[in-house]
Amino acid sequence: MSCARFYPFVAIVGQEKMKRALIFNIINPTLSGVLIRGEKGTGKSTAVRALAHILPKIEVVKDCPFNLPNGDSTGLCVECPKADCREAVMSGREPEKIWREIRVVELPVGATEDRVVGTLDLEHALKKGEKCIEPGLLAAAHRGILYVDEVNLLDDHVVDVLLDSAAMGVNTIEREGVSFSHPARFTLVGTMNPEEGELRPQLLDRFGLCVTVEGLKDPESRVAVMERRTAFDEDPESFCKSWEEESQALVERIEQARKLYSHVAISRNLLFDIASWCLEMGVDGHRADIIMLKTAKTIAAFDGRTEVKASDIEEAAELVLPHRIRKQPFMDIVEDVRSIRV
Amino acid sequence: MKAFKRIFPFSAIVGQERLKKALILNAINPAIGGVLIRGEKGTAKSTAVRSFAAVLPEVHVVAGCPFSCDPDNPAEWCRYCRSLKSPPTVISRPVSIVTLPLNATEDRVVGSIDFERTIKTGERHFHPGVLAKAHRGILYIDEVNLLDDYIVELILDVAASGINRVEREGISFSHPAKFILVGTMNPEEGDIRPQLLDRFGLCVEVQGESDLERRVELMSFREEFDLDPDGFIQRFEKIDRSVAMSIVAARELLPRVKTNDRTKKFISDLCLENNVAGHRADIVMEQAARAVAALKGRLYVTVQDVQEIATMVLTHRRREALPPPPPPPQLSEETDTRKDQPPKDKPPDQQKPPEHQPEHNGRAHGQSMNQTEADEERSDEEREGKENLKDRVNYKHVLERVFEIGQTFKVRKISGPKDRILRRGSGRRSRTRTAQKQGRYVRSSLKGDGSDVALDATLRAAAPHQLRRRSNSFDGLAVYLTPQDLRHKIREKRIGNFLLFVVDASGSMGAQGRMSAAKGAIMSLLLDAYQKRDRVAMITFRQNEAQLQLPPTSSVELAAKLLKELPVGGRTPLSAGLIKAYEVVKRELLKDPSTKPIVIVITDGKANVSVGQSKKPLEEAMIIAGRFTLDDRITSIVVDTEKAGIMQFGLARRLAEYMDGLYFRIDDLKASDLVHIIKEEVTQ
Repeated sequence: MSCARFYPFVAIVGQEKMKRALIFNIINPTLSGVLIRGEKGTGKSTAVRALAHILPKIEVVKDCPFNLPNGDSTGLCVECPKADCREAVMSGREPEKIWREIRVVELPVGATEDRVVGTLDLEHALKKGEKCIEPGLLAAAHRGILYVDEVNLLDDHVVDVLLDSAAMGVNTIEREGVSFSHPARFTLVGTMNPEEGELRPQLLDRFGLCVTVEGLKDPESRVAVMERRTAFDEDPESFCKSWEEESQALVERIEQARKLYSHVAISRNLLFDIASWCLEMGVDGHRADIIMLKTAKTIAAFDGRTEVKASDIEEAAELVLPHRIRKQPFMDIVEDVRSIRV
Repeated sequence: MKAFKRIFPFSAIVGQERLKKALILNAINPAIGGVLIRGEKGTAKSTAVRSFAAVLPEVHVVAGCPFSCDPDNPAEWCRYCRSLKSPPTVISRPVSIVTLPLNATEDRVVGSIDFERTIKTGERHFHPGVLAKAHRGILYIDEVNLLDDYIVELILDVAASGINRVEREGISFSHPAKFILVGTMNPEEGDIRPQLLDRFGLCVEVQGESDLERRVELMSFREEFDLDPDGFIQRFEKIDRSVAMSIVAARELLPRVKTNDRTKKFISDLCLENNVAGHRADIVMEQAARAVAALKGRLYVTVQDVQEIATMVLTHRRREALPPPPPPPQLSEETDTRKDQPPKDKPPDQQKPPEHQPEHNGRAHGQSMNQTEADEERSDEEREGKENLKDRVNYKHVLERVFEIGQTFKVRKISGPKDRILRRGSGRRSRTRTAQKQGRYVRSSLKGDGSDVALDATLRAAAPHQLRRRSNSFDGLAVYLTPQDLRHKIREKRIGNFLLFVVDASGSMGAQGRMSAAKGAIMSLLLDAYQKRDRVAMITFRQNEAQLQLPPTSSVELAAKLLKELPVGGRTPLSAGLIKAYEVVKRELLKDPSTKPIVIVITDGKANVSVGQSKKPLEEAMIIAGRFTLDDRITSIVVDTEKAGIMQFGLARRLAEYMDGLYFRIDDLKASDLVHIIKEEVTQ
């Protein structure tokens, strides 16, 4: 694996909350993403790109444009642009499968709608005279991570489309002569600088977790940041190698937590705790409850426990609630959740 | 079952009984005409609709028919079914729930020429669109308030007539399209047009559960489902099926359910009381009540049945009684007294002693206000004194006060006229054609420079000629395009306008709760601006100068924050404010000549400070106001903060006349009833 292009995740100094939020999302993709808010130069983008070092593997059909785990002879594969694989599936054979790391797909701020949702395949249409879909970024991000840098600057139009498919995990295309739908279940990771405007509450709610990052305050860590960064820039290869062991340890820990997750139990009392947190904070709807439960369980799994503790719930609250207390478009985002509750 | 279509079971949804009932009633009696689900995020709106398909009984359709024709109703058959020689084979299949995604283009909604088949056969074939697929099923629009206007109009048209007529690309075709329209929306993101609102038979407002026990149950259900979807679905299969059975039974009963005259009278009285527009409410209510009775296995409708569904029918149709009642005066007093508290807590250094004005109200006797006006002012003050002594006492001591934001409301539609200038940007206030390769691709046209080719339309245009062209050509391509086939995309999107708020923050605005009402109005306009993605800027004027408090920005949040902290006090340099506004607008116009700025002046018009020496303040302001008329890209609006009453100066109205702009009182800004808005749109 040649990850030397990216700064290693484990080598990021401080920013524990952000790192944990990202890790939780990798352990449990149903947390549906994390929003990282913070000023410039606080390692937001670096952290997301660095995920490449610690991503788990999934089984997919080789080169499948939709990242499917299996061939689907009744639905998607019928109209798939990949001819050889399609024929294999249609004739009842198993398509070739591989194990690979889940992908981080980047959605550039200037992306057009047709690139995001997919469109008519021009080449195929001209050459063969057949209608064929050219999958967009949402298809590429299925079962992976969709990363939007500066998510608050995204064109409004694209945000609407994103909301639409993030809601149900299905992307439906009814445009330019193509009628098609494919699964699009992704972990939405966004970074933003609040100085440049806030997000719409609707989109905000789609991010499972939200963390605010700040520059490091103590000189020692700042020096560490400088030293490590220079070391990386000078010789990425050997820098990554020196962190290899730690990366590997984290990958294993994540792997363990993924397996453990379904065995984590939570007492009924703690469930009531979660519900009353959400009620007291006056959040909209029930997404907060559900995500909080999942986060608490993920935290327990990450710590290698099979029982959720009260402290897990508190940590979950800090990640899940801040951006949901903001009910109306113009209310500020709350930074410290606990202070409100007391 | 496709792996990605595993959906949370309908009967496992905790709570939301009204939502579930509304869906079931529609399934029993399609004549109800659909349901609109309004509510905050995360309340199982979409989940409920998507899972509903599983509990619907199957429909009988003609086998092979692309339009799902009803075998028992030959009168409405499509061309395909009529061409069948033998009686059609009947199959039954689940009711289809067709999702209309936000990115849909026109050709897929109504249907278009089938380019693949046309190329092969050389004949024009029709390729059915979403509307055809939804026939005898459910057309589901998630986030219906975000859907493009153009598409909405198309759907409305078809929903009203039940027939989709297609005249495009050399095809002339029509097919039946009767469907139940189900939409979900989050009102925070902006509302939908009243015409569309009325089209939905029922409207359900959903909220989160407030009961702890149920929240816990809900959480655990969801988690169980995510861990083991198949097992969970199986667990609820039986209950789902029993719901389906009750729907089937109720459907059979429905034609025999009768409504007696007394109940009918009750229905019409109810509709009258709530002052609904038109007769759709009456009809829908009766149909829904019959469905309720059928569901209960009864053959007659009772008053209770009607009461059960009355709110669903009326919530989105109810109007205020006409004429609109005057604004409740006690409200502003209340806010005023409440607002009186904070200044007392302020440290004394903030309560600067008045320098120029010993009296409150921005009233300045020595200034150029003429005698009558001053008189008016005094009587104003007297009235006020009687009404609210405490208020008055405060004026004497406090020059600067910060008022809280008054009540907000829905804002009526404000937009410039649509034109054909190509613009850049993004937003949703005024519609425009866009020059960038961005925005909604609505339809195609022959005109264009070839940079934004509408491939699908081009191929469709070329398709009928392929057989002929193929014989003349020898290279390996399947499709032969010639320049005359080229079609170009016409994109349309709403661009945000530039809203410039010019706010009078002088002392006179502090009287009678004017400022908090004005702040409420500005806040409402800001909320509206947020939903329409406008750029905003704010200028305030008080004491001797005007300040650009907020330079043009698209962060409406910043403006809201500023507004909250905006203090009031001092004299009224209206002309300075107008000059500043003119400068800002001019600058914006230079930067982007195609923007259409809307200048919103919020004032009572009582100018008492002039910029120059020669003219009286009011006179000077009016002359400056005249400048705004020179550029017809500028739309101006004057919001009068003066309370309606016997004593009125009408200065703001004069200002509006000089600016050649619209004049509103704060109350006029409120989005009025259905009829009014429709009228407005028609005249546009």
